[in-house]
Amino acid sequence: MKKEIFHEHEILVVGGGLSGLRASIEALRSGKDVAVISKVHPLRSHSVAAQGGINAALGNTPGRGEDHWEDHAFDTVKGSAYLADQDAVDILCKKAPEAVIELEHMGTVFSRFENGKIAQRPFGGAGFPRTCYAADRTGHNLLHTLYEQSISGKMKFYDEYFVTSLIKENGTCVGCIALDLREGTLHAFSGTVILATGGFGRIYNRSTNALINTGDGAFLAYEIGAGLEDMEFIQFHPTTLYGSNILITEGARGEGGYLKNSEGERFMKDYAPDAMELAPRDIVARAIMTEVNEGRGIDDEYVHLDLTHLGEEKIKERLPGIRQIAMDFAGVDPIKEPIPVQPGQHYSMGGILVDNGCETDVPGLYATGECSCVSVHGANRLGGNSLLETVVFGKIAGKMASEEVNGKELNESLFIDAIEKDSKLIDSIVGKKEGILYSEILKDLRETMFQHFGVFREGETMEEGLDKIRRLKEKFEDVYVESDDKKFNQALIRTLELRNMLLIAEAVAMGAVRREESRGSHYRTDFTERRDEQYLKHTVVRKGVEGPELEYSPVNLDRFDVKEREY
Amino acid sequence: MKLKVFRYDGDESHYDEFEVPHKPGQTVLDALFYIQENLDDSLSFRYSCRGAVCGSCAMLINKVPRLACRTQVKTLVEGEDKVKIKHCPALDKGDEIEDGAVLVEPLPHLPVEKDLIVDQDKFFEYYREMEPMLKTKSEVPGEEYEMDPEDVSELEDYTNCILCAACFGACPVDGENVNYRGPAALAKLYRFHIDPRDKSERLSLADHEDGWWACEFHTNCQKVCPKNVPPNIAIGKARSKLEKEDG
Repeated sequence: MKKEIFHEHEILVVGGGLSGLRASIEALRSGKDVAVISKVHPLRSHSVAAQGGINAALGNTPGRGEDHWEDHAFDTVKGSAYLADQDAVDILCKKAPEAVIELEHMGTVFSRFENGKIAQRPFGGAGFPRTCYAADRTGHNLLHTLYEQSISGKMKFYDEYFVTSLIKENGTCVGCIALDLREGTLHAFSGTVILATGGFGRIYNRSTNALINTGDGAFLAYEIGAGLEDMEFIQFHPTTLYGSNILITEGARGEGGYLKNSEGERFMKDYAPDAMELAPRDIVARAIMTEVNEGRGIDDEYVHLDLTHLGEEKIKERLPGIRQIAMDFAGVDPIKEPIPVQPGQHYSMGGILVDNGCETDVPGLYATGECSCVSVHGANRLGGNSLLETVVFGKIAGKMASEEVNGKELNESLFIDAIEKDSKLIDSIVGKKEGILYSEILKDLRETMFQHFGVFREGETMEEGLDKIRRLKEKFEDVYVESDDKKFNQALIRTLELRNMLLIAEAVAMGAVRREESRGSHYRTDFTERRDEQYLKHTVVRKGVEGPELEYSPVNLDRFDVKEREY
Repeated sequence: MKLKVFRYDGDESHYDEFEVPHKPGQTVLDALFYIQENLDDSLSFRYSCRGAVCGSCAMLINKVPRLACRTQVKTLVEGEDKVKIKHCPALDKGDEIEDGAVLVEPLPHLPVEKDLIVDQDKFFEYYREMEPMLKTKSEVPGEEYEMDPEDVSELEDYTNCILCAACFGACPVDGENVNYRGPAALAKLYRFHIDPRDKSERLSLADHEDGWWACEFHTNCQKVCPKNVPPNIAIGKARSKLEKEDG
């Protein structure tokens, strides 16, 4: 194979968001030859959009006394509706303070209390003000910090390369194939692979996610035999901007914002009388949908997030990004008027099944961040825990993958065959003269997901949805791209993303149909109770002979007793 | 509604006109997606967050460098577009704005790769030249540095930069001098200079004719910045500090 298209490294990190960069930095520190392969420039990754903050039991809030990581762990487990693996949650919460302090030492400009310590705000589902933040631009600040740390020159970046497949030799993952978007050529990469490709929110039409969140890593891992865990657990964020579904941080409620219906009532009193607006996300999202469904929404579409009573100064200091978003995208100044909000898809709790060392069940293949499922979020993630997961487990992934690297002889013919296979796939899409455009299938898929697998779910509707998804998969056989441009053929990329999304949608649907209970974000109107005796277990979907197959695996419950969730 | 879009395939360039149905709240990015999905799937442009935080989609819209995702079509078509920037030679190139139409072109001052996608390598090369990573002397493991909230507030003016390169495309000096490091790189350097935790000598890195001293204070950078970062103020302060040290 030509040298220009064959790249040998020890560690290949796919994805340049927070998890990917944190993993890369750790692998580099372990002395490895590291490459980051990303379909966008790393600073354009979705991590940049995280607003509210990162949890750690620092106990910085003046007058509130000490906080303890065990309390953080309890809140996380309870918030997860007991589906999180408690040994993994221990790691997450125990390592949180050092992870945040490390980020601070790397250069992140966190907001501060008057005494100079990192400021912390209350967040939903947490019993203590535990969320460290950089105004309402925490993800932006963290991503820029980690990128700064990673550009010393030793790390190799392949920006704007789209990974099309992973390569397996004797059961072990040994590399990947990626399309160079600038030139339109396929390249081969060898090395231990860490997937850090983010979530798959864009299978839904109402989503806070960046447009690039198409679940590429989960698809790649599935294809070579890794399991996908708890895919049916989709977090719907209660407050996304009506119209564009851009995120309006939970921090807005943490700072004291009210949710009001068309009658001007703070309706959360009927759903979570103690926690009110700061109940966990699944509960607030269902409350808003119920208000709208029962005719107390505004224009039958949304409710109001009212910040006006917080005053100009507090809004400008603590929530400047939110104010800008509301003005730019809804024409509303939150100092003067309430913000129109509705629930939208926000986070994928499920993902590639990994152990606490971030290894999948394919040796040589690791996964971390939102694309993975450790599982620390279970059936519902608490705000402020996803940024935390990216840095804690990103670091672990980088370290563990580095320990496994060995200098095995490369079997070049495997890579040549893989390039040929992907090349044929691309030619079959670009070469057709007529067929169905990706945009048509994508639109149907997104509508199907929100209608059939949304905030409220029901058996029969979901069965119909699953059928629709399978029909769309069949339609994909006829997909084609008109443009045969080599350079930046985005229609081709979006078509390949659609291939990934269809499989993921099917896995989500299968898990949701089979789980006959309500737990966290998975709420069924035909089974409204949590049913621990049958379903306190993880769903795992794997590639079988005739398509995806579903099985269950046990949950680690070694720290806290399983109880009812009340807020 | 008419969109006139710059096209380039690596050999030749031209403009294509597209008729796009108007929707309330529609952004220029929405309109470009409409074209890609319904009219011409060969159109290329960068995108990611669609919420003005990732910095992917800076381009020249009605002769002003800005983010496509943050620019409402309505304000352009109805002439309510308020950004007034100082003249820049690059803006004379290409087609002129027509009433009631939206003119979309790639960001100036960087080589065009395809259609609306420019090669940002030079922009990021200047950024890396500023050694943009915190250099501290004595961290205590397990303990955070304490920082005055007022220092944080000044730092935020600069850490808000999303490196979209709109300022680079708007700066008349960058248009004439390809070696000028540009507003974003200098603002980034200044951000580390004022960070109380940073212990390295910073300002000298750009103490040359293509660094701090090349700026002519047209202030286009601040005017087009989607995050209100003021590179011109950083540059002014850096210069007076260096002048004081010299004098």
